[in-house]
Amino acid sequence: MSLPSEDLDRATPHAAVYLRRLRREQLRLALLSLVAFGGAIGALPLVLYLMPGLHDAHLLGVPVPIWLVVVPPFPLFFFIGLLEQRRADALDEAFRDLVE
Amino acid sequence: MTLAIVAVIAVTGAALGIGTYGVRFARTTSDLFVASRAISPWWNAAAISGEYLSAASFLGVAGLMLKFGASALWLPVGFTAGYLTLLLFVAAPLRRFGSYTIPDFAEARLPAPYMRLLAASIVLLISGCYLVPQLKGAGVTLRAITDAPYWVGVVIVSLIVALNVGLGGMRGVTYVQAFQYWVKVFAIALPALLLLIHLGGLPARAALFGSELPRASQPMVIELDSPQPLTFPDTGETRTVGEVRLAAGDAFPVAEGIAAQTGDQWSRPVAESGRGSPILIYSLLLATFLGTMGLPHILVRFYTNPDGSAARRTTVRVLGLLGVFYLFPAVYGLLGRAFTPELYTTGDTDSVVLRVPAAAWPGPVGDILAAIVAAGAFAAFMSTASGLLVSIAGTVSHDVLPGGRRRRRMRFRIVSVVGMIPPAALALATPGVDISVLVGWAFALAASTFCPLLLLGVWWPRLTAAGAAAGMLAGATVATGMIAAGLIGGVSEETAAGAILTQPAAVSVPIAFAAMIAISLRRPPRNVSAAMAALHVPEPVSP
Repeated sequence: MSLPSEDLDRATPHAAVYLRRLRREQLRLALLSLVAFGGAIGALPLVLYLMPGLHDAHLLGVPVPIWLVVVPPFPLFFFIGLLEQRRADALDEAFRDLVE
Repeated sequence: MTLAIVAVIAVTGAALGIGTYGVRFARTTSDLFVASRAISPWWNAAAISGEYLSAASFLGVAGLMLKFGASALWLPVGFTAGYLTLLLFVAAPLRRFGSYTIPDFAEARLPAPYMRLLAASIVLLISGCYLVPQLKGAGVTLRAITDAPYWVGVVIVSLIVALNVGLGGMRGVTYVQAFQYWVKVFAIALPALLLLIHLGGLPARAALFGSELPRASQPMVIELDSPQPLTFPDTGETRTVGEVRLAAGDAFPVAEGIAAQTGDQWSRPVAESGRGSPILIYSLLLATFLGTMGLPHILVRFYTNPDGSAARRTTVRVLGLLGVFYLFPAVYGLLGRAFTPELYTTGDTDSVVLRVPAAAWPGPVGDILAAIVAAGAFAAFMSTASGLLVSIAGTVSHDVLPGGRRRRRMRFRIVSVVGMIPPAALALATPGVDISVLVGWAFALAASTFCPLLLLGVWWPRLTAAGAAAGMLAGATVATGMIAAGLIGGVSEETAAGAILTQPAAVSVPIAFAAMIAISLRRPPRNVSAAMAALHVPEPVSP
């Protein structure tokens, strides 16, 4: 299970197989992260729409729905981004290890 | 007021100083276009965030929140979501590909003579549409804080930005923009926090969250620049007046285009109808999210990283920096509703961030806070305008007019100055015209052209030049046509049809994708493996 770097330079069919695998793994990871944050952010308007009573609950004098839109999406974006970056770099690293 | 002038001069002077310092590094072509790809992730992240947080974020979010209600708070969510998607799909491959500009990428990935020119014209269209509002914002802000004529702010910002970009190029501008990010965060966060501590919470809660309209707490007179039609919510009548006299307890009349809302209606991020209805919110999220992915001045930033992995790390940091900033506009929206409800009458809701500090904390402290906020607003116009000008100058000198390396450097500098003239002229010619349609158009164009081009270009080997060109043209045509139809038809933005027509991304982006895929499938591309390898092979391995 190794990939001589000359193969990569000359873009042999052997190298193409490995490269396609790397691309597919990266794409799967990106799509998975997209589903994760798309699901969370996409659900938020619907949750607020279906639970109008939430508006009467206050936290520090401000209705809870305002808090939910202003604060949690941003740390969520950051952590999904951080996780994806680490996984994607690890995939790249694994590919590097394959190349001789 | 003098304090505000001093603060604005300090920030512009510092920007000019840092820009001049950056000139010393700007010797090679690569310095000018992509900062020699040597910017470290933290500097680059601050610079990207500085460039990205435009007048729309600094003044616009709070202004729209005051005007229409808490549904405006979805805007920052969409802006930031677009960034996360860039990280997931575009950041590392785009950097690895090693182009100088987006048209460069388009032509290298999809070899066809027309690709470069097509992409270049879209870059210029988007950047131009986005640049005019920044300059207008500068004119309005300077007028609000100093009573200087509108043109003074436009001319000052145009000159400084053209000078900084022309001399320092991307290398110099990066340091200026990183500095401006920190100015902006400080300028929006510090006054907000101090005001909340000073007030010990939010006053006038009935008009904020309860069943009350904003009402005058004492007798007051509001003078308008010129007689305007105002709607008086207490009686429901509309009259054209030049001056409003309110007794204590009278509800504030509202200017054209604003509906009087009770606190309960105003403060719901999602509601049964109007701007808070779920379909409008999803349309807004889609438009901002897809549009952010295609903004050329953002995309060009990925090229300044040392390698693909650094591009990813930079983008994660940007997500953190943007998140910190976007906590604060809502504070100004809430305080504005309590302290500056007369803006509903004058219609000048966009200035709420500038006016809240002095209104909520009368006296010297409020004046100092107002000066800090004004300086932050100026930093916002300048940094976004610089980023747009870099992308205009890079595209014209690199893609539209080909030539030798040495001449290209000279041309970059000339184009940075000349390229500023048309947007500045347009901003000067339209002082009283609402040009928010330009921003909407820029976002829609970005979403329907570059967003599909990048996603398919990076991940789908079968994309062909013909397919990409057809898709971009189809997307741009549909988006432009829908916006024009909405304008001509005078459709209200608060209906589902109006929302789709003013934010056509939900329709035009799928059409662009479909056209790209359908046309590309007709004939397989040639020699695509080298391009795909350049996009996806991690650096130390790549030749």
